[in-house]
Amino acid sequence: MKALFKIMRMLLCGETRAFAQGMVLSLTVLIMGVALLALSGWFITAAAAAGMIGLGTLFNVFAPSAMVRFLALGRTAARYGERLTTHDATLRALSNLRVRLLGGVLTLPYRQIEKLQASVFLNRVTSDVDALDGLALRLVLPGAAGLAIIFLAAFAVAILVSPTISMVIILGYAIGPTLVFFWGQRRADKPSRKAQVGLQALRSRVIDLITTRDELIAFGQIPEAHKGVVDAAKFQSKSQAEVERIERTTGLILDLMGWAVVTASLGIGATLAQAGEITAAQAAVGIFASLALSEAVAPVRRALSEIGRMRSAAKRIVPLMEKHSDQYATSSMPIHDGPLVLSDVIAARGDADTALFAPIDLTITRGETVALTGRSGCGKSTLLLIVAGQIAPLGGVVRFGDDDLFQIDPVQRAKLIAMVPQRHALVAGTIAENLRLAAPEATDDALWTALEEMQLAKTIEAKGGLNARLGFRGVGLSGGEARRLVLARALLGKPKLLLLDEPTEGLDAPIAERVLQGLRKALPNAAILMAAHRSEEVNFADRIEQLHPKQQFH
Amino acid sequence: MDDQSKPQRIQSRATALGGGLAVLANLIWLAQAWVIATVLAGLLSGTVSQIWLSAMSFLGLGILRALLNRQAQAALSHAAEAEIQRWRLEIAATEAATADVSRFGGAGSIAALTTEKLDALRPFLLRYKPARMRVLVVPPIILAITVWYSWAAAVVLMAAGPLIPVFMALIGWAAKEASAQQMVKIGSLNDLLADRLAALADLTLIGAGPQVIDGFSTASDTLRNKTMAVLRIAFLSSTVLELFSALGVAMIAVWVGFALLGEISWGTWGSPLTPLVGIYLLLLAPDFFQPLRDLAAAWHDKSAADAVKEDFGAWKRDARPKMMGLGAITSPMDFDCLALSKVEVRHPDKTLFFPDLKIGPGDCLAIKGPSGAGKTTLLRVIAGLEIPSRGAVLVNGVPLSDVQADGWRASIGWMPQTPRFLGRSLRHNIGFGVSLDQRILHRARVSHVLDTLPSGDLTQLGESGAGLSGGEARRVTLARALHRNPSILLADEPTADLDTETAQDIINGLLDYVADGGTLITTTHDPRLIEQMDHVIKLDPGA
Repeated sequence: MKALFKIMRMLLCGETRAFAQGMVLSLTVLIMGVALLALSGWFITAAAAAGMIGLGTLFNVFAPSAMVRFLALGRTAARYGERLTTHDATLRALSNLRVRLLGGVLTLPYRQIEKLQASVFLNRVTSDVDALDGLALRLVLPGAAGLAIIFLAAFAVAILVSPTISMVIILGYAIGPTLVFFWGQRRADKPSRKAQVGLQALRSRVIDLITTRDELIAFGQIPEAHKGVVDAAKFQSKSQAEVERIERTTGLILDLMGWAVVTASLGIGATLAQAGEITAAQAAVGIFASLALSEAVAPVRRALSEIGRMRSAAKRIVPLMEKHSDQYATSSMPIHDGPLVLSDVIAARGDADTALFAPIDLTITRGETVALTGRSGCGKSTLLLIVAGQIAPLGGVVRFGDDDLFQIDPVQRAKLIAMVPQRHALVAGTIAENLRLAAPEATDDALWTALEEMQLAKTIEAKGGLNARLGFRGVGLSGGEARRLVLARALLGKPKLLLLDEPTEGLDAPIAERVLQGLRKALPNAAILMAAHRSEEVNFADRIEQLHPKQQFH
Repeated sequence: MDDQSKPQRIQSRATALGGGLAVLANLIWLAQAWVIATVLAGLLSGTVSQIWLSAMSFLGLGILRALLNRQAQAALSHAAEAEIQRWRLEIAATEAATADVSRFGGAGSIAALTTEKLDALRPFLLRYKPARMRVLVVPPIILAITVWYSWAAAVVLMAAGPLIPVFMALIGWAAKEASAQQMVKIGSLNDLLADRLAALADLTLIGAGPQVIDGFSTASDTLRNKTMAVLRIAFLSSTVLELFSALGVAMIAVWVGFALLGEISWGTWGSPLTPLVGIYLLLLAPDFFQPLRDLAAAWHDKSAADAVKEDFGAWKRDARPKMMGLGAITSPMDFDCLALSKVEVRHPDKTLFFPDLKIGPGDCLAIKGPSGAGKTTLLRVIAGLEIPSRGAVLVNGVPLSDVQADGWRASIGWMPQTPRFLGRSLRHNIGFGVSLDQRILHRARVSHVLDTLPSGDLTQLGESGAGLSGGEARRVTLARALHRNPSILLADEPTADLDTETAQDIINGLLDYVADGGTLITTTHDPRLIEQMDHVIKLDPGA
């Protein structure tokens, strides 16, 4: 629940004014709706009473009938306004929620951000954020407005009709449903979490079945994989059925409470009217108001069916949204030019404490190109990530210029050092947008120059120039083109130290050579360290540094 | 429909039952309203008696109504659950019965269809269908009752009621057009988020984090403006509905009020309107419009469900051949001889022709050829993953068919070019439940990989073998292929994209296997591997 409150605060605080407007309008809609029915009931009962004793001509019909028409039109207008303002506010809040999520994720340790690339995690995060979208629009706003109208109506009924009936209204429409809500959501909590677990299991098992199908067939694992999918579906279905059973029970209780309130208003109102304490028309106000108020309790039902999913989503999302460090505070550009000095650096994989490679000493001065070689899995990429300042070494010191690399302010460090990993991180948007991620102020000319260096200008021109659009994850470029585009982007940031992980993978030999020359031409003074296994890369380097597996030193 | 299966018929019967019960519950209001009207009219004329008896009968009707509603919900929810489950199991069964990739989309889209998309059918089945049933039954009955007492009130209902769908349709079209023009979907915000999250790790390496966030908020603002433009029109439709229903109720209230005062003498069938009837008509009027409002509220559920059904249809239309055998574990076949005879495989873009060949125990064969020549296809054909359109794969002289496919595969070790793993432990990914054989781990040079992993062979693997480098993943696939002591090993480009040392390790692992009497068929470009093979064949593209 705590996590859910946090999200709620975040949603509401960002757009206070818009939500306040929406709240006022939803309350207006409810007030007008209840007033319309109560006034109509009063009007015809009073009119009948006046008509019966022959005083029909003296009865002021115009005020109430004009009021009825006003309420009818006003309610419609308020409803339209309410839906527009609350949807606008919600869309703003959703965007805020996602921006804060991105901002929070950005401050996570590198290895954790990396995990989000797997579609299982991505799907989960997006479906969690999705679940939280309805929080303001479907739960908080209608719930608050509903509670407010119930108390307002109870107050009005206490004055106009009878305090006893208003007590019944508060008991049956405010206190009772609130208790039912808490009871129901506590009961539904476990099964609805189970249903979520089942759904996620179903998702990853279907993904497993399809992506590894050849292997599953070859190794005779299809029946087991199929059974896994079916089991997950059955588990989800069973838990979902349980959630719905609880919802039906709470729905039944809410229904019964509603009918009890109307029954009490009818009985008490009629008894008071019979005793002459109030008029029949006043009794009608109580009854019609009680009937109309049942609409205000509706959000409770809605809430029950969604709160479980929202709670578990909030629990997972909130930790991602919190800032883990103030990485992106702005600060001035320092003057650093290297050299990069590694002394006795060792690294481990993940949380393990066994070193991947023998301690390495290495110095790279400005303008120098060093190729890092070694067998696959010996830790070349890990070492690059250490030098990029993204993960801490298991031991040893990394210095850049006069400073310990890990003491440099992260914002400054990001300007000094750029790393191009093996994957091509491209996003949906134009070529220019993708390039400017590294250098927001770069001119079109600068972009073209970078593309030129990477042998990509002609290709991009053919695709429609800098404004050609890429699809999600950079769809629209071949592997080699995407490779060169991310290299061009890294150049644009003018880093002092460029880290490349197998930069020419997937490029033909002649292109690979020209690309490497282009890199050096664009950054004549930068220190370049690349994990290399192609001869083109190794030959291009000024120096070769071999990473030795640790075992050889035992 | 004759082609409906039995469970489907039971389901549609359950849906009808649920809808019927919901309608019945709705109609109880006719009696409840009568009780209220009687009490109020009795108060006016001073003839009321036994107030609490009336109140209790009202409550009794309410309880009945609540119980009926609950039963209706139960029936609808069971039917909905069964229907969703049926679709899910169909996807599972189909995907587990073929070896071909779906043209509908990748694993991610099929998984999304199976999970959240099919879940989106639930509100449609629970709300839209019963709402449509109520619209067909409840308003006509209320109209009939109203006509019985007053033609004027009936005219109001008739004027307001049928106009609603007309206006809604008009505005609905406008909204559809607007949204089609702008190609807006609120869901795109999620695609955008997923896109950025996937790229985030690598973008932090060039210090682009803040720019990603800026770009995202600009994009989501644009999306919001476009969405609001559509919503402004879309909300008009429900506003029209609200307007007509509020005006309808208000006009009936005003007419009843004036008639009771004696100001108006028209509108009934002769006799003047009594307070009882006036109050009764007012109580019924909102319920004339309520089913229409419910249906409008559920309209969104229907369009969501239509989209899901369309997706499901698209997935189902891509009919794929059944795989050979069941893909189940069985005892391995004894391997004497493998031969290809005039094998042709038809692919959508071209037909591949393969040379005849014959392989016996202990042979080792390298298959080379440019990309697109069908090297991987040939291995898949031999493993019975792909069925030739012509010719046959002869295992021990018998054409490979459903009967022997599983036994044949049980004697094969399979090593694909791209390592792919289940989202389970490394141990399960190698042994599939059989405890790991240290000798084989050693032969595949995978033992020291396990030593550097934080949780050893219990490390969880992901879609792309998360946590393993390319070379390590390849060693794991070798260990997996060797783990059942296969008589024949199929290895697809086992040394592609590997550094020299790792490649040599893999080659040594393969040669150890051959030295132990194993049979090896490998596709490769690698001269170091080719020179160790007894036979080499070259595939030509488009031969």
